[in-house]
Amino acid sequence: MALVLKGIRENFFKLGPLLLLIYICISELHTQFYHWKIFSFNLQFIIIYYWVLRDPDILGYGYIFLAGLINDVVLSLPLGTSCLSYLFVSLVAAYVRNATVRSSLFTDWFTFIIAIIIGNFLYFFLMRKFMNVNLEYSTIFYNSLFTFIIYPLFWTLFEFYKKFAIGRIHD
Amino acid sequence: MSTSRDDFGIAIRSALLQRGAKQKFSLFVLILLSLFIFGLDISKLKPVEMLRSLLNDGIYRISAISSSPIRLTGVLKDSFIEHFFVYKENKKLKVEIENLRNKELNTLYLEAENKKLQQVFELDKKSDFETVTSKVIIDKNSPYLNSVIINKGSNSGIELGMPVINEGSLIGRIVEVNFISSRILLLNDLNSRIPVIVSPTGAQAILSGGGEKEPKLDYLPDNFEMAEENLVFTSGKDGVFYPGISVGKAILKNEKVVTQLFSDPTQIVYVSVIIDQPSDLEAR
Repeated sequence: MALVLKGIRENFFKLGPLLLLIYICISELHTQFYHWKIFSFNLQFIIIYYWVLRDPDILGYGYIFLAGLINDVVLSLPLGTSCLSYLFVSLVAAYVRNATVRSSLFTDWFTFIIAIIIGNFLYFFLMRKFMNVNLEYSTIFYNSLFTFIIYPLFWTLFEFYKKFAIGRIHD
Repeated sequence: MSTSRDDFGIAIRSALLQRGAKQKFSLFVLILLSLFIFGLDISKLKPVEMLRSLLNDGIYRISAISSSPIRLTGVLKDSFIEHFFVYKENKKLKVEIENLRNKELNTLYLEAENKKLQQVFELDKKSDFETVTSKVIIDKNSPYLNSVIINKGSNSGIELGMPVINEGSLIGRIVEVNFISSRILLLNDLNSRIPVIVSPTGAQAILSGGGEKEPKLDYLPDNFEMAEENLVFTSGKDGVFYPGISVGKAILKNEKVVTQLFSDPTQIVYVSVIIDQPSDLEAR
């Protein structure tokens, strides 16, 4: 009985990152602030990058694709824009996972720059090329910068979550 | 050198094609699928657009339901702040009432004068717009778009480009119409450009959103001077917006003329979509 309960608890907590990702995409949860305009960050990138890199079994590529589709609908972007952006962030994370033997916060953090640049460039390129919209470069720059700066905070939170909620210590 | 290139190739190939124990699709397949969906969506084919419209309606509803805890938090926060500042607000409101009383007298005088002038010019002016009232179901900001989604769509007669007002003041226009939902592009969005007129001088300008709460006034005449109170109205010059819809108050901020909107874009709950213009065609 205790083992069954433990299994249910573990499975429930394993769904946490996925639920958070989908919830951020579908709900009104803001990571873009009016009153402090320059402060905005892309929480989706952080979640995808961390979990694909550290524990790919928790966040499947199919779900990342689905989250991208939902995000496109909610933000009225051409379908597939966010999917491509998120999948390329996943690609960088998967590459870093394959290429590195032992990862730490600093290796994850600095390789995250590549993921942000590729993810945002794709977003930006598709929007400029296929959607007739104006984009403010500074907003995108600050968004990328704060996404990068804030990563260690979420890295620590997710490590803590992984250790205590899911019960995984090793990668 | 060639070894490191080989390593890179192997790692990338592995990242693209490898599937983990619980992964059903490889990244490569999903990237191809995304490109295919993207191509279909930008092709703007009629069946695809209909499908997208249905998808939009469905996801907007789910989004509205899932956002209710966030909204509740916002309401609780506002209620707490309101209670906290109730004494200060009471004082402010008393002053405002006094000002409004003075303005009311002035308005009555102007109304009488307006009626008299209409009689002189024999205009049958019907100032009310025909509107559809709807509720904002999703208000999500992004670095790319300042827009909100409402719970009425083409089934209520809403069409692309229609102006949207909140408490009698313009807040934006319709940029996406689904069957039971629509998207409003707010005035402060980077892509919003509205021709306006600034009273009392009647100077023409373009109200340009910049992502901030207060859109700026571009292309004002060189000799434009700020008066004590500069009200901004739509000019109707683009042929899309009806003239005379109030927008806000022009103010000077950091040596730039910006518009303090009468309707705060962050506090919109109910809106009215203007689906028909007033009958005073001659007046326009």
